[in-house]
Amino acid sequence: MKTSLLFLFLLFNQLVYSQQEDCVITIRGKILHEENNEPIEAAYIWIKELEKGAISDVNGNFRINNLCPGFYELKISYLGHADVVEKIEIKANSNFTFRLHAEDINLEGVEIHGHQDAIITTTSVNSLRGEELKYARGESLGNSLRRIPGVNTYSSGSNISKPVIHGLHSNRIMILNNGIRLEGQQWGSEHAPELDPFIAKEIAVVKGAETVRFGPEAMGGIIIVNPSPLPVKAEQSGEIDLIGSTNGRGINGAASFSGGSEKIKGLGYRVQGSSKYQGNIQAPEYIQGNTGVRELNFSGALGYSTQKLGTELYFSHYQTTIGILRDAHTGNLSDLEAIIQNGRPFSESEFTYEINNPKQVVAHQLLKLKSHYHLNNGAKLNLQYGFQRNQRQEFDRRRGEANTRPSLDLELFTNTLDFSFTHVTRKNWNGSVGLNLIQQANSNIPGTGVVPLIPNYDMVNAGVYAIEKYTSGPLEIEGGLRYDYRYVEAARFNNSELEERNFTFKNFSAFLGGVYALSRTLNFNTNFGTAWRPPNINEQFSQGLHHGVAAIEIGNPDFVSEQSYKWINTLSYNGNKLNVELTGYANRINNYIYLNPTEQQFVSLRGSFNVFEYQQTDAFLWGIDLSSIYEINSHFEVFSRGSIVRAKNLTDNNYLPFIPADRLETGISYKFLQGKSNSFSKIFISNLIVAQQNREPDFDFASAPEGYSLWNMGIQTPIKTEKNKLNVGLHVNNLFNTSYKDYMNRFRYFTHEMGRNILLKLNYEF
Amino acid sequence: MKINSTIKTTFKAFFFVAILGFNAACNSEDPTLENEEELITDVTLKFTEVDEAGVALASTFEVTAIDSEGLEVGGSPTIGTINLTAGTRYLVEIELFNSIENEDITEEIVEEDDEHQFYFLGSAFVDTPILTYVYDDADGNGNPIGLRGFIRVAEAPIVNNAMFRLVLRHDLNKAFNGANNPNFVDFVNAGGETDLDIMFPVFVN
Repeated sequence: MKTSLLFLFLLFNQLVYSQQEDCVITIRGKILHEENNEPIEAAYIWIKELEKGAISDVNGNFRINNLCPGFYELKISYLGHADVVEKIEIKANSNFTFRLHAEDINLEGVEIHGHQDAIITTTSVNSLRGEELKYARGESLGNSLRRIPGVNTYSSGSNISKPVIHGLHSNRIMILNNGIRLEGQQWGSEHAPELDPFIAKEIAVVKGAETVRFGPEAMGGIIIVNPSPLPVKAEQSGEIDLIGSTNGRGINGAASFSGGSEKIKGLGYRVQGSSKYQGNIQAPEYIQGNTGVRELNFSGALGYSTQKLGTELYFSHYQTTIGILRDAHTGNLSDLEAIIQNGRPFSESEFTYEINNPKQVVAHQLLKLKSHYHLNNGAKLNLQYGFQRNQRQEFDRRRGEANTRPSLDLELFTNTLDFSFTHVTRKNWNGSVGLNLIQQANSNIPGTGVVPLIPNYDMVNAGVYAIEKYTSGPLEIEGGLRYDYRYVEAARFNNSELEERNFTFKNFSAFLGGVYALSRTLNFNTNFGTAWRPPNINEQFSQGLHHGVAAIEIGNPDFVSEQSYKWINTLSYNGNKLNVELTGYANRINNYIYLNPTEQQFVSLRGSFNVFEYQQTDAFLWGIDLSSIYEINSHFEVFSRGSIVRAKNLTDNNYLPFIPADRLETGISYKFLQGKSNSFSKIFISNLIVAQQNREPDFDFASAPEGYSLWNMGIQTPIKTEKNKLNVGLHVNNLFNTSYKDYMNRFRYFTHEMGRNILLKLNYEF
Repeated sequence: MKINSTIKTTFKAFFFVAILGFNAACNSEDPTLENEEELITDVTLKFTEVDEAGVALASTFEVTAIDSEGLEVGGSPTIGTINLTAGTRYLVEIELFNSIENEDITEEIVEEDDEHQFYFLGSAFVDTPILTYVYDDADGNGNPIGLRGFIRVAEAPIVNNAMFRLVLRHDLNKAFNGANNPNFVDFVNAGGETDLDIMFPVFVN
């Protein structure tokens, strides 16, 4: 009764207002955190005179309709933040932006909160976190990111996978490991990213060209792996993961513990570690010889936060030994052709945990020191220094004592220094200016008994940028400009003679983007960015045999930089029951560097090899990503995500190699309340269809494999005790043990993909 | 004032650490000359005419295949021609050498004889063979190697010229069914990889 009365009253009110002639004005606005410009959800906006208000949505947007012209006092409040009270005059429809300042610490119960930097970009960001990230635990970075439409993998067997964003990978995308650009030997197709996905609380993917903010090579997009912020108050928490898998009989464990100091306010720490032990992988019909993995990673972080200053020291160590399928290492072209003809490895293998040559032994250390300081008026200084050491050893099957020595032994040191100043000038403007310095030194460790694949080199790169953003209610417009200077000095022995070359690359890049909230539920993002990438050292200097694929690869030191122009648009709808995101993009890349087969064959006493030459062409890539989730009722939910990519070589009018085939994944989940623990369990089943790649380049050793369809299912159930939480998951991947090959796996020449894998995932939070 | 000093201290600390780091790894090492140790640049086939008992009837002659550039792009191998007499039995010994590193590869093969095996293929041995090969050596498990063996030339060969394809396999499964046949065409099925694959022209007088 009361509600209907109220309803009538409101209706009456509405009628009264709308009857008045000019009372049709709408004001819209956006509420943001002052310190990082993240939107604030559920802030309260109140018009004092009218006793009328609104609540901001997920994107920080609000809207108040049917206002009469006049002067009003607007009050915006949000928990833990100082109220904003402002007098405004309303004459016509208008937009406002408000930034809320975090409250002082003096109040009882209100604590300093952690300082986590958000990426402020107008390009849409997709991320894996929470429950979804839990499902992905135990998978490699590449594989777990396949959950995001438009992201795929480029792999070498089951254990090495690299993320691909919109058809680009390796040096054309960037991975930020806790804020520092990951610098390993990422040019190599069989060099997986050297980081432990267990450190991540969130893995985000930005699909736009983000060169201006992050520097060259971020032309295809960036992947951001972020741990959770360090605790700033006296509390302790931790997490233990234990994952067992039937395929490879693997065991994967991780533990992390974080806490805040009681004595020193704002001092927090975290220690974390993970390890993996896995034996030979089982394809549906056979065991893949020598495909075991070992991994041991640990990290530690120490942070100190006050109201104004935040400082963090972080160290991580990553160490892995990866067995390479024995038969993937072929002696010459006729060996390669024989195994392609056979379709599977010749050697019969037993299950074993033992890893023999060929194998990779990779270690990566990161040391990071980061500080920020809040100035007045919401401005902030950021300073970040990172040191990285990457050591990569690759062992082949060799005669005698040489078998114990690596045939590739590289040590790469990288120093990065990032400085930025973010400011808020006037109400609608904010932005940042920054400086990035990178210095890198790569050395071949002598004694391999093999002519090095890439030369020793030194590189310095300096970049300065400025980004400004204008926010006005539902509209955000952002633009940026960057200038980079890079100097590379390379030295090697070529036919026993010392050869030294220097290179200088200079480039401007720029972007312009915008977001517009069409309504409470509908958002539109657009971003046009230019990006560049200097030729990589392997593209300039390769000159010799690439063992795995029996190919002689020849680089060209005279290459110029790649130049890319990417336009990406996203339309997203977030309704009560339905969430849809549609992304379309076009990317034109001039001077695109790729490995082109020549007509020649190289004959040696070992037999013959195909000759490939790195070449530059103009390329055009476009594609569409779609993802949607629909909640049928409180129990059932269906989801669907798909992507298509098209990539043409414009000069030769043919297709680029290793571009992901069309894929569509559809699934349904059932959620039910579990009696005892009073929490939701979830059962899901999904189907993945991957088409055959019909757009192949003119030459490939083997034609693209047929399309395939896979079924996966799982159950995830939390068991809550008073304070702690145990999550139990049972997942079955490739339910029907389907035998298939994936176009994006280089080892499709030699073997099928992994067969059925049953995983038991235990996660304990305390 | 206090703010300024905090910033200054932070900056100083940073640059100190950064300078330390930049110095620690500032330059790459000078490159060192690295040679292909695995490489076989010289393959020598030593033919000696023998009787049924293996006693030498004539002096030994050598046929070589040489590629002094190894795997360096641009070089091409020089392959000799094998001249044999019909109806004759030869002792065939193979010697391998790396002239870039001055290293005797034969020795290395002997040390790892259980992982290596030569195959004798091409039109000289397969389909309508004019030559027959018999292994005359064995590894510790009694499996053949092929560094030493006998070739018999047919009494009345159908053709007087053919191709003598010499293949050295490394890391194969010697127990694989058929792998002990010196003319095993499907040698790839036994696993492993190819170290040598040379086509010698052969003439029979």
